[in-house]
Amino acid sequence: MTTVNINSISKDDLPWIIEYDSEKCMLCGHCVASCSFDAIKVDVQKRKKVRAISNEEGFQIDEDQKAIPVIRQVIDAKNFCRGCGICTKVCPNGAIKVSRNRTEIFGTRYRAKTSESVKRGGRSNLHTEGRTLDKIKVGRISQMTDPSLDALRHTFDLRTNLGRVVSPENLDFDIENGELKEKQNQNLPVNTSIYPILFSDMSIGALSPRMWEAIAIATAYLNEVKNIPIRMATGEGGVPDKLLRSKYLKYMILQIASGHFGWNRIINSMPYMQEDPAGILIKIGQGAKPGDGGLLMAEKNVKLIQEIRGVPKADLLSPPNHQGLYSIEESVQKMFLSMNCAFKFKVPVAIKVAASSTSVSVYNNLLRDPYNIVGGFFIDGLQGGTGAAHEISLNHTGHPIVSKLRDCYLAAVHQGKQGQIPIFAGGGIGMNGNLAADTFKMICLGASGVFIGKLILQIAGCVGNDFGKCNGCNTGRCPIGITTQNPKLMQRLDVDRVAENIVNYICATDIELKKLLAPVGNSTLPIGRSDALVCVDRNVSERLKIQYVC
Amino acid sequence: MTKEKLIINTIENDKRTSTQSLMQEIWDAINEGCTDFEIKACGQHNIGGSVWSKDGKDLNFYLTNPGQRVGAMGAKGTNIYVEGSAPADTGWLNSGAKIVVNGDSGDTTGHCAASGKIYIGGNVGTRSGALMKKDPKFEAPELWVLGSTGSFSFEFMGGGIAVICGLGCENMPSVLGDRACVGMVGGIVYVRGSIRNLSDDVFLLDLDENDREFLKTGLKTYLSEIHKEEYYDKLCSFNQESNTFTPPWHKIVAKTYEERQKQNNISLKTFRVNKWMEEVGGSIFSDLITDDFKSHDLVQTGDARLRKPSWKNYAYSAPCEYNCPIKIPTQKRFSMLRNGKIKEALELVLEYSPFPASVCGQVCPNLCLNNCSRGSFDEPLDVKMLGTLSKDIKAKPIEITKKEKIAIIGSGVAGLSAAWQLTRKGYEVEIFEADDKIGGKLSQVIPEERLHKEILETELNRFNDTGVNIHTSTKVTPQLFSEIENNFDAVIIAIGGHNPVVIPFEGYERLIKGLNFLKDAKNGKKYDLGKKVVVIGAGNAAMDVITEVYKQGGVEEVTAIDIKEPSAFEKEIETAKKLGAKIMYPCFTQKITEEGVYLKDGRFIEADSVIISVGDRPIFDFLNKEYLDEKSKIQINEFMQTQNPKVFVIGDAIKPGLFTNAIADGKHVSDNVIKFLNNETLTPFKEKELIPSKRIKSEYYECYNSNCDNEQNRCMSCGYCRDCGLCKQSCPQNAISRIEKEDGKFEYVSDPNKCIGCGICAGLCPCGIWEIAWE
Repeated sequence: MTTVNINSISKDDLPWIIEYDSEKCMLCGHCVASCSFDAIKVDVQKRKKVRAISNEEGFQIDEDQKAIPVIRQVIDAKNFCRGCGICTKVCPNGAIKVSRNRTEIFGTRYRAKTSESVKRGGRSNLHTEGRTLDKIKVGRISQMTDPSLDALRHTFDLRTNLGRVVSPENLDFDIENGELKEKQNQNLPVNTSIYPILFSDMSIGALSPRMWEAIAIATAYLNEVKNIPIRMATGEGGVPDKLLRSKYLKYMILQIASGHFGWNRIINSMPYMQEDPAGILIKIGQGAKPGDGGLLMAEKNVKLIQEIRGVPKADLLSPPNHQGLYSIEESVQKMFLSMNCAFKFKVPVAIKVAASSTSVSVYNNLLRDPYNIVGGFFIDGLQGGTGAAHEISLNHTGHPIVSKLRDCYLAAVHQGKQGQIPIFAGGGIGMNGNLAADTFKMICLGASGVFIGKLILQIAGCVGNDFGKCNGCNTGRCPIGITTQNPKLMQRLDVDRVAENIVNYICATDIELKKLLAPVGNSTLPIGRSDALVCVDRNVSERLKIQYVC
Repeated sequence: MTKEKLIINTIENDKRTSTQSLMQEIWDAINEGCTDFEIKACGQHNIGGSVWSKDGKDLNFYLTNPGQRVGAMGAKGTNIYVEGSAPADTGWLNSGAKIVVNGDSGDTTGHCAASGKIYIGGNVGTRSGALMKKDPKFEAPELWVLGSTGSFSFEFMGGGIAVICGLGCENMPSVLGDRACVGMVGGIVYVRGSIRNLSDDVFLLDLDENDREFLKTGLKTYLSEIHKEEYYDKLCSFNQESNTFTPPWHKIVAKTYEERQKQNNISLKTFRVNKWMEEVGGSIFSDLITDDFKSHDLVQTGDARLRKPSWKNYAYSAPCEYNCPIKIPTQKRFSMLRNGKIKEALELVLEYSPFPASVCGQVCPNLCLNNCSRGSFDEPLDVKMLGTLSKDIKAKPIEITKKEKIAIIGSGVAGLSAAWQLTRKGYEVEIFEADDKIGGKLSQVIPEERLHKEILETELNRFNDTGVNIHTSTKVTPQLFSEIENNFDAVIIAIGGHNPVVIPFEGYERLIKGLNFLKDAKNGKKYDLGKKVVVIGAGNAAMDVITEVYKQGGVEEVTAIDIKEPSAFEKEIETAKKLGAKIMYPCFTQKITEEGVYLKDGRFIEADSVIISVGDRPIFDFLNKEYLDEKSKIQINEFMQTQNPKVFVIGDAIKPGLFTNAIADGKHVSDNVIKFLNNETLTPFKEKELIPSKRIKSEYYECYNSNCDNEQNRCMSCGYCRDCGLCKQSCPQNAISRIEKEDGKFEYVSDPNKCIGCGICAGLCPCGIWEIAWE
């Protein structure tokens, strides 16, 4: 007799329920063979029926007993169904599917059982109110006042700037043959023209080598075939030597975070670099888990990662802050100056922080920048994704990005310094499916560009969503092969198709961006052109200082 | 009176005629039959547009200084000649008129022209020719330009022909300005000269013979209309060598719908292989991992499977085997019985123990059954029966093949077990026994109620039949021990515990020693115990004491007391209680008097006799001090070896235990004795891991209770393949096969090339043999 303990986790405690129809099932084994979370298993179910069959003498007892093979949900605090739906995908008979258990309190059970904090990947799954960007519309349409443009056929310049822009009064010119010429040897800071959407910093380690390389290939393809000058931030998990020494380095923004993982190899590759990197991104914090450092669970810390990062097998926790930094001024001196020196002042150096109540102070402070070495300010809002974090960080810490971007931009406007240190904003950009709309609105609110992470994974085939689906990135068991280091799971990923999907998505976004630029009559990015926006929520419109409409 | 030609001067007396008035004047004249108009215009719009004569005669306009949209919406039969230039929108929506402009024409010339001909003798402005189209019901529109066009010309052009002669523009970077032909879907643009930044919607082609013919003919008409015949040769100069005009003419045609759908970009895969990997030198990770970039479906065979099954027959212990100190594989015995190998099954146990009937069948508490998988389902199997069945199995005749001799001191179950194992391996063994009979406590102290005399005798005889040299009534003295040490290659001390422990309470001299009592009782000696007896101790031996106490007769009240929870097995306690005994704990004895036992907490238990049974110590009086520690206990290592490597100690001589512990010691020590004799490294006894209970599937069985006739069928064969073939039958990939081996054994094998790693074999296996695991 099987005993059931009232204190153990039971099926209805789990976040997802496997609905299985043994009548339809032919036991082909596809579901169990493909489930990467060990969330289902083959088992035997006993069926017993005792029947009384009436006859002339009264009745006769008939007994029918059999053992039926079935697929059963595993009930376990570690190996539990995450609702990825791979079983449903592979089942030829529609005999198995997953459904969200709306009444579960798995988090409570899990903590009570394991005394551990809940960890997972993905974005915040706690939705307390509507999404700000969706309440904003592009409401200023050029009709008869000024000509709108044709999005499909006209030429647009969608490039934005990465790098420090010096204010005009600090520029020296000569007049040569009646033309203004920049004075030589002014040591002006480097400036680059790039696409206003960046592939955000996801590390090798968080991502499988295939996924990471697919993004890198898509980046190169977009640049070289599609003429879309997009850039990819490497994340802090090291960069392969082969990439560092190839010409494609010019599309890569190298990241340095608190763990400084992989920088030994970067420094040692410097003499062999054919190209400068596209930029350096100093990561101070990230929107998904502000105040917390990188987290790579030991399951994913395989040999390749150990080698490239120079660490042994262990849970890898990057410190929440850079060990040697204690103030904004010190950050500027140490990190910005060192990185500028390392790349001979030829590469823009930017900084990334989690959006916070303090972001404006930080930005104001950076804006002083007497040495012209601050090349960009990246702020990451609370809807950002991650490969692994404590759920409490994902759901309960952070700052929404929209008003934070606006505050920072307006702070610069207040000083007359807008655009001098370009602001890039991220954190849930495109999470509702439309990257172009979000990007355009953020640009109108003052962003020079946006960065995307989780969205790329979804473009690549990630089945996770922000309503509790999958989010198992931290386990290393990604069923798609995106956030895993298991070679067999990684082989599920088709590098070419993933790169193609990314390229297609960006090309579609490019068209859609123009579809928004055209009606407002801009053929270049309307950075800070908030008159193009209207808002259907009075509070939002007041906060962001854009027109309220209804 | 009808005038054939009307001359209109639109400024008279410094007063300009409005467009509306001019139109009215023209319309009125046409109605009156006038066909020719010579108009000195002053910027009036739409002159010559949308007019026609009633009788179908041509209408001719001769204009100077017109305003925008000359000939806009012009109808067939209208001919317009402009002396000098015209501003924007000349020929807008032209639907059949011929419009000739001697000079330049402004922006959007020919915009949306759908029929008719527009001849411009100079340049045209931006977006000229945009949205020209061709209606199959009418002649195609034509737009001829002597010089260049502004930017964005021929946008969205859908039909018709435009000819841009580029005359005098030979040094311009582009005779079509910037971004011409955006969105062009039809028509032809002939163009002479350089072009820059042409739209992706079109092809730029060389001329063919038909094109050249068209130009040769068309240019004649065109140049004569604009009175520039002198340029004919220049425009038509034909280079025989290169088969082209110089500078070259080209033809711009729109891509077809199908061509437009085609992606001209290289595929991602080609880019990866030819550009990315070429530049990088393989994958960027290729110096760190190997990856063939092949992508796999979710369901895979071979090495790409997530999990692999393995047939792990007898890799784990069944609970019966695991819990038995001797590790008797009862699951194996039942398997043999199921397969009709009854003799083999009953013989198998003798490899482990010489006392299956006496110990397994009689005195053993049968730890094997405590965790029998069947027990959590209905009832544990009946192993006692199985042990008893082996009673009459004869021993294999022994054959001494080895030269080494081993002495065993003591012939209790430990000593006999060691002797049994060693003789079976061909060693000569001699046993030294102080008592006059062998069997140790089995013979000396176990009440007959628990151990049938006949069964024990049968098994002792079976031992005797092996012909081992046994010296009974030979107490080992220090002298004898040193002789034994010298004369034998190895010595096993198996003397048991024969020194009953007495605790020095006040009045301890009144105590009867339990062991002595049992020995005496078994020899038939009678005790006068009185009516009330207290037994100090509540272990298994104490329960035996209680049994014998009642057998003595006349006893009315027996109380066993212990300082802790009784350590006797449940069954033994039950037997004692059934006889009427009370068991009390915790009870700490303070003193023993004539009246009975006083406890430290003040309680008093009346007693006529008090028997102490709290354990027995070994008597090592034949050993010198080096063998013992300061508490006079024997010193041994993990291999039960003393400081003299050839001397081993086993059984109760080490610490009190069950008969099965003693038998197990005898079996385990014999392995190490042999290793010692062969100068091999001694090894601790390794036990197999217990099979996890959830791997045994009770779902296949019906609940029914013990029944001697088919216990073998009730056995669920934990971890031991019952060869049912369910795995083979259920494998969806048909990957499993059964391989029969030469020695009659078999094996199930899963073919990696077929197996998808679903684990159905593991999930369904009744015995938990198949294991499915990630690599």
